Amino acid sequence: MAVSERSTKERLLSVLDDVEVLSRELIEMLAISRNQKLPQPGEESQILELLVQRDGEFQELMKVAQEQGKVHQEMQLLEKEVEKRDSDIQQLQKQLKEAEHILATAVYQAKEKLKSIEKARKGSISSEEIIKYAHRISASNAVCAPLTWVPGDPRRPYPTDLEMRSGLLGQMSNLPTNGVNGHLPGDALAAGRLPDVLTPQYPWQSSDMSMNMLPPNHSNDFMLEPPGHNKENEDDVEVMSTDSSSSSSDSD
Amino acid sequence: MAAPEQKTQEDCSLLPLVHDIIKCMDKDSQDVHQELNKLKTKIQEAREQISTMPGISMSPEQQQQQLQNVREQVRTKNKLLQKYRSLCMFDIPKA
Repeated sequence: MAVSERSTKERLLSVLDDVEVLSRELIEMLAISRNQKLPQPGEESQILELLVQRDGEFQELMKVAQEQGKVHQEMQLLEKEVEKRDSDIQQLQKQLKEAEHILATAVYQAKEKLKSIEKARKGSISSEEIIKYAHRISASNAVCAPLTWVPGDPRRPYPTDLEMRSGLLGQMSNLPTNGVNGHLPGDALAAGRLPDVLTPQYPWQSSDMSMNMLPPNHSNDFMLEPPGHNKENEDDVEVMSTDSSSSSSDSD
Repeated sequence: MAAPEQKTQEDCSLLPLVHDIIKCMDKDSQDVHQELNKLKTKIQEAREQISTMPGISMSPEQQQQQLQNVREQVRTKNKLLQKYRSLCMFDIPKA
């Protein structure tokens, strides 16, 4: 059993050493027996037999070694194929990982979209209502200038001071019983004494009026006197306007 | 095919050289030393040849076992690759 565990190389070298030793012994024995003329046929023949046996083993082992060489070549080819398959598997693994990543991203985005859809469904609003609001917002020309607007046009996308003066707050100072600033228009409303002049006017209507009344290069100039206002009220309105004018002048 | 193999076997054998040495000794020839050197050289060449021969660092049985393992590896990997390349895990629904 120990012999089969030894490699072919070890066995070959071992047998070769035996052949060398035996051939040397045989030659020495023959030389000695020739010189001394002592017949020793038994020992010589034993050594000769061993030598022949070892030589035979050596030849058999060389045959085995050659066969093993062929098998080794075949194994090298197979190992190259194994390497190629390994690289194919690694390539496939990389592609699968990439596909997994793409799919995971797609699934996540799809889930997010479904959540958004569900959220929108819960808070759904009638489209007509939205369109109505859109009309209201855009009707005051706050989103986009009117088609006829030119530089110098006094109209603005925000209530101007004249519009404010002609509005409810401005008209409050014209009321005869109103001696204190800051009365809420609600008081007059509650008393049912609201004159027609305090009726709310739409911005484009008041701006049309201001267009007729004011010079073309009007900016937020509070010192201009629109008709219908006296000096006292003008001071009050000017104070009020001053408070709100900073933002309006800035927006200009 | 048998003739070259036989020639290789004869090349491997050291008996002819030993026989030549013994013949020279019988004839009391001066070529004995020459023949002895030939034998030494042949043995040395055989050793060098053995050390360079591929695939003999293991026994034939071990080599066969290794060969079987490598063949099995190739078979398994081929099978796996074929399986995963032709695998379709998704049933595409008909629209």
